[in-house]
Amino acid sequence: MSNFTSISRRDFIKLGSAAGAVGAFGFGGRRLVAMEQKLGGQDFSATSGGERQSVPYTCLACNIEDGGVAYVENGRVVKLEGNMDHPNTRGKLCAKGNSGFLHIYDPDRIMTPLLRTGKRGEGKWKRISYDEATSLLAKKLREVIDRANAEDKPEILNEIVLKWGRNRTGGACERFMHALGSNSTIHHTDICEASKKVGLEPSWGPDIESCDWANTKYILNFGSNVLETAYFMNPNSQRLVDGVVGNKAKLVSFDVRMSNTSSFADEWFAPFPGTDGAIALAMAHVIMHEDLYDKDFVRDWTNVTAEQLKEHLKTYTPEFAEEESGVPAKDIRRIAREFATTKPATTFSYRGPVKHVYGTYQEAAIHMLNVITGNVEKKGGYCLPRGMGWPQPEPEPPKGKAPSLLASPPEYPLASHHVSTLAPYRLKKGEARVSVWMSFYDNPVYTYPSSHVWKEVLQDENLIPFFVSFSPFMSETTENADLIIPDVTYLERHDPESMPSGLYPCMSIRQPVVKPLGGTQEFRQTLIDVIHKVDPDGTLGIKKYFAFDSVEDWMRAHFDEIPGLKEQGGYDFLKKKGVWPIYGKVDPDTAKIVDRNGNEVEPDYALHEKQLSQSQMEGAEIDEQGTIRKDGKAIGVQINGKNYVGFGTPSKKIELYKENFKKYGFNPLPVYKRLPSRDKKDNEMVLSTYKVNVHTQSRTASIKYLAELYHKNPAWINSKSAAARGIKDGELIRVTSKLGYIVTQAHVTEGIRPDVIAISTACGHSSYGRLSQLKVKEQAPVWSQGGGDVDIANNVWWDDKGVHPNPIIQLAVDPIGGSQGWFDTVVTVSKAEPGDSYGDVKASVEASVKDYEETLRYAYTGDLHRKNHKEVDIEWDHLPPASLHGHG
Amino acid sequence: MQNPTMVISSTAAQSQVQDDRPGECHSQSALYNLLGRILEEELDYEMLRLLKGDLRLPLEAMGVELGAEFDSVSESLLLDQLAEEFTGLLVAPGCISPYLSVFETGALFREPCDRVHSAYQQAGWDYQRHHSGEFPDHVGTMLGFVGVLYGMEGKALETGDNLTADDLSVQRSTFTTELLGPWAPGWCRRASEAAFHPFYQQMLALTEQLLWSELATLVDRRKFRELSDLNRREPSKLDYNADFRKASGI
Repeated sequence: MSNFTSISRRDFIKLGSAAGAVGAFGFGGRRLVAMEQKLGGQDFSATSGGERQSVPYTCLACNIEDGGVAYVENGRVVKLEGNMDHPNTRGKLCAKGNSGFLHIYDPDRIMTPLLRTGKRGEGKWKRISYDEATSLLAKKLREVIDRANAEDKPEILNEIVLKWGRNRTGGACERFMHALGSNSTIHHTDICEASKKVGLEPSWGPDIESCDWANTKYILNFGSNVLETAYFMNPNSQRLVDGVVGNKAKLVSFDVRMSNTSSFADEWFAPFPGTDGAIALAMAHVIMHEDLYDKDFVRDWTNVTAEQLKEHLKTYTPEFAEEESGVPAKDIRRIAREFATTKPATTFSYRGPVKHVYGTYQEAAIHMLNVITGNVEKKGGYCLPRGMGWPQPEPEPPKGKAPSLLASPPEYPLASHHVSTLAPYRLKKGEARVSVWMSFYDNPVYTYPSSHVWKEVLQDENLIPFFVSFSPFMSETTENADLIIPDVTYLERHDPESMPSGLYPCMSIRQPVVKPLGGTQEFRQTLIDVIHKVDPDGTLGIKKYFAFDSVEDWMRAHFDEIPGLKEQGGYDFLKKKGVWPIYGKVDPDTAKIVDRNGNEVEPDYALHEKQLSQSQMEGAEIDEQGTIRKDGKAIGVQINGKNYVGFGTPSKKIELYKENFKKYGFNPLPVYKRLPSRDKKDNEMVLSTYKVNVHTQSRTASIKYLAELYHKNPAWINSKSAAARGIKDGELIRVTSKLGYIVTQAHVTEGIRPDVIAISTACGHSSYGRLSQLKVKEQAPVWSQGGGDVDIANNVWWDDKGVHPNPIIQLAVDPIGGSQGWFDTVVTVSKAEPGDSYGDVKASVEASVKDYEETLRYAYTGDLHRKNHKEVDIEWDHLPPASLHGHG
Repeated sequence: MQNPTMVISSTAAQSQVQDDRPGECHSQSALYNLLGRILEEELDYEMLRLLKGDLRLPLEAMGVELGAEFDSVSESLLLDQLAEEFTGLLVAPGCISPYLSVFETGALFREPCDRVHSAYQQAGWDYQRHHSGEFPDHVGTMLGFVGVLYGMEGKALETGDNLTADDLSVQRSTFTTELLGPWAPGWCRRASEAAFHPFYQQMLALTEQLLWSELATLVDRRKFRELSDLNRREPSKLDYNADFRKASGI
């Protein structure tokens, strides 16, 4: 036998190298396989090893409505993850979604109805039962109804107001309000993307684009932080990465701030705020005048001619755009050529372009780039959103008889998504009256521009005699209520859902993954109870609209009769799977949706080119423009002898020329309007705000995992601008607008335009729970904060909750789409003054009221409207009179 | 333990060697039930009249002054004032959360709640909430449970069922030591300090002393010191239990 004792370690290494060279790495224990986590759908207790119960649901941490699965152990949610059956979110949740279960067990959650006992906002309450609370609300509502009936004035019913900030009830809010006879349902969309919707809807029907990011080759991003926030952040960011990394697409981003999306881009440009439209129009100018446009598409599918567009765009040269935006003309020209000649391509835009006065025009200009390059509804292009609907239970209440001034201001006839920002000013000036104000998923005292005005109005019992909040959390708004009837959190409630978050249309369900905690009651049940108390014997004719035995009964009425879903089990199918239809499985390697053979399930494209059937065409007529009408309704468009369903417009073509805009003196084609902020003084700056990836606007600051990641919001200021003002990184600064000032901290960076200062939202709460308010530090050492080492005792190592900018942001309404001009406030920035403290906020209600008067001057009824639209050829003295319009 | 404003001493331990042990148990039962009731929900007319009437002198003898307010304002107004204080102190967001689970983990309805509920069930009791948002690990309910155990023990002794009485005594002792002892006296002190109304200030301070005196009879000096340290802890704000965090994916 050989003696191995003389073999050295070096000898073994040599042998090993030799073995490696012949591929021996592949040998070894052949029974061993790499541990692989199952791709969703199962989870096990870390302590007992037992399988956890999985319950699918639809997320509502923000408004993207991702598909999720909750894992429940011993009746508690212990983990959330994405639902692998959801075709658009493909098994992924964002940080907000993953942390969502903390909402349920938040010790600062409102767990019982509370009746105010002190002054409004004083924080004095008395606990009452849900029964007592719903009886009280019903009594207040009945008083209004009885008065309206006695005086035979249906307009009195509009004194019942429901203001929502996030309404994903699938029609429950509207059913409730219409049953009561009121049209005063006030949205929040105008502080979000209303002008985007109004920029798109008249042109092609729906309100947003669904880009085919994964298959595109070129992306122009205008003012959207796709990777972090914006509409459909989770699915869009997944597919954007698929496109840029997997498909080698080029990404060009326009944003005043170097967001994480811009830092991911191939090129980043920082235009002056509110000039994206000038850039888009200049690109359109290049594309049209250099004949790079899609001639067939423009001819066949739009309501304008190429010549008309060329003439309209003549003055929008790249040099003009450079003058306005600061983006070099040579780059605008180059990018326009690249965009027009790289196929397929798409734009995406969100808050950046539209949150301005005249933001609607900017959206329309960006949208036009896709139209003239023929990228609409192409694979890899700029596609229509794909959603699904569900029926409302019968009988459905009709809308109220009288239009509501608060819901549909007459000065804004095109603002189809309301102008909620005006409401407190209308009340202050006595232009509208309220008897009962109800607040659902809404926090305007924190989230609205000039938020201090909302606080003053909501605290005024003369203006709002009775104020009810349905919030499960004590927000800055809810703390002013007379009565709180707490809803449950989104993981404990029912809603039907469908969000066009990708190219696969689907619907989903939100269902309680655990029983409502501690016997709390979901909003939907509260609505049933209130209506049954308003009309106990049905004599008012209201009760029949809420003839549900249970909330589940209501949900079945939505889902059980939908063709296709019905055959698979309707509501029961959705309870089990969470989403319908199931398109396939997520391929673990490519993350694409594949069928059982592993082939990709491709979404449908060219939806507008679906042809009408013979039976659909039976009895139809075709007009000179090719529009196909049947029973007085446009059902399609005939092009080159083929009958297509077309787009959701009156002509069934893309209407770049908007006749309805012209009717009110607005330009029917996309234009650029120079804003007052563009003419600011040299020492002034424009205040911009932004969202971050781990927070919603106001609802997540008390979630520990998220607050730990992001809890303070220093103001981004360019290093040159900071140096010019003697400001160093981390120093206290005063940011002053016409309304007042805030004292915050400076974050000196190269990643922002020198004439812009940017402050994120989601921080600086004065309410919403101990963590958002950071009571841990403020009141130490009181009982709730800990007198010892807070890091060890509470694991809250930060001592800065940030400063909220909204009190100094001026009210400014886009006269077309109604959006708030979040990025139109001009400020001065200086070092903090002696006596200033971090977090100081001073804002004048009187100055905000002047803004209200000023912004009305831009409305079509205002004196600045004609001055700003000299180019519109219309009989200016014969514009339609301002009148109440719309019904709920 | 902070400087006590009032000191009461438990008779529980002494009662073991005295003849009237059943009576002592019933006495303790009544006291725990009373304090549990006061902390569990708002006062009603019946309770108020009891406090103003039959219980006034015994409470005064313990150093509890109900104050002139109890006589000078109408009962309905007084009940409203006390309800407002109760809600702000123990119910509404920002309150001194009366739940063991919140104290220990920073979140509602966590595992400590199960332990408390399980103790109730082992003794043949279950939990039924009266208001939404209530859980078994409410300090008032827990005190009431001690009262129930004392009462059952007293009855067992009266019937000569010493085995059952001993078993109940062990259950009570374990519950008090393990589930109330590590947090409730300290919680009472903090809540007493946070209360605006003298009635709740005093009742919470009284409860704290009752618990300390009880614990002093149940544990040795070393354990008592340990509990004393535990009661100096601040409540946890957040659950940083490793499994909890891991489960969240963070």
